[in-house]
Amino acid sequence: MTVVLVADDDADIRDLVAFKLEQAGFEVIAVEDGQTAIEQARSRQPTLAVLDVSMPGLSGIDVCRMLRAEPATAGILIIMLTARVQEQDVEGGFSAGADDYVTKPFSPRELVSRIQALLSRARA
Amino acid sequence: MVGLFSVTILVLVAVVAGTAVGIVVLRIWRRIRNRRLAALAAGPRRALLAFVADNGEEGSEDLIAIPDDAWSAALPAALGLLGKLRGDAHAALVSVFLHRGAARAALTDLHARSGVRRARAAQLLGDLELREAVPELCRLLTDRDHEVRVVAVRALGRIGDAKAAWRMIASLDDHDPVPSLLATQSLAQMGREAEVVLSAALDHPQARVRAVCLDALGLIGATGAVSRMARVLADDEVLDVRVAAAANLGRLGARGALKPLTDSLDPPAPDLLRAAAARALGDLGAPAAVPALAAHLDDGEFQIAHEAAQSLRRLGPPGIAALRERDNDHCREALALVAPELVGAS
Repeated sequence: MTVVLVADDDADIRDLVAFKLEQAGFEVIAVEDGQTAIEQARSRQPTLAVLDVSMPGLSGIDVCRMLRAEPATAGILIIMLTARVQEQDVEGGFSAGADDYVTKPFSPRELVSRIQALLSRARA
Repeated sequence: MVGLFSVTILVLVAVVAGTAVGIVVLRIWRRIRNRRLAALAAGPRRALLAFVADNGEEGSEDLIAIPDDAWSAALPAALGLLGKLRGDAHAALVSVFLHRGAARAALTDLHARSGVRRARAAQLLGDLELREAVPELCRLLTDRDHEVRVVAVRALGRIGDAKAAWRMIASLDDHDPVPSLLATQSLAQMGREAEVVLSAALDHPQARVRAVCLDALGLIGATGAVSRMARVLADDEVLDVRVAAAANLGRLGARGALKPLTDSLDPPAPDLLRAAAARALGDLGAPAAVPALAAHLDDGEFQIAHEAAQSLRRLGPPGIAALRERDNDHCREALALVAPELVGAS
């Protein structure tokens, strides 16, 4: 089963994304901060991570950079989920190594479609 | 004397002990209350998450039937989700809120004496994307409370009804206006329908208002406003507004923006504007801008030559070829940022 890491400090969004992904057949690891996300990524090696940009401590951008910098986690597909919609924020996410960028307000259905599309492209 | 001292000490000890006991009791009471609320909210919250995850296909009756005390306990979660969702999941959640009478209550609360209640009501109406609330929210743009005005601008942006554009622009003229960036985003959320109003506001007497409208036009991709924006670029009396016009003409990526921007590369345009025009030509993405930019690679003003080189880099192979033909620091710096395969291809 494909493992997806979800990191968001907002419990409602975290639980909703986890719920939706489990419905779609993924195994989900849900965490509430960047440091735990890094630890889980190292130990569980998820295929894909959905990272909230604005988390206390390590931001999603920081986590993305750290995952890309380590050979063991560099291959994890990363989707940033954020309320920041400015062009420079989006550019910042991509330059940190994100594969996709979803802005809030978001559609849970669209998020799952993007995850599935990203996984399909990676497998191709 | 000793007796009075003892009594004073005893009173102080009693006050301290009483306060300490009060604090402990209050904390215990709060903990018990929070646990009770969490227990009360757990069921509705689960139902809410399942409902939203299913895009509201099932379970709306169950949510509408939740008793008021349990719904109140789950309300923070419901409000949080409402503000962060869009699409079918959002529409489904909105219908639950409407069935529970939330819109009616919020419209009433817009007239509350408390600024916090007015702001919360405005936020909810925005998150519900309730178009019927636009006139009432426009009234809040001149609210006595700054925070309420900020929330009203954000709510009107979320609703995205262009009918509010003129009122929002007029509110920027206030002595204590809302932040420019927030107003720009909200106006941009109104989309192309706001283009006519935003274009007309480029003649507004306040420079800040003109700059906000230029940014909003750039964000919505208002290609129909190119000629008016070009006029601002050429003639506005405030340099910062002309610079904003250049940046947004570049952002539009429209063919009609090429000539006004290349015309601004040379004196008598001020250096700040010339640099902005050089940068905007890179954003514009038109290979036709290459000769004009290449002609400024040796400009005496550092910033203009630098922006010209960086723009040529962003224009891809034709721009990179122009950089390779010239040998100066600006060109070398720009070429150093180009992927090796692109340098070879140009």
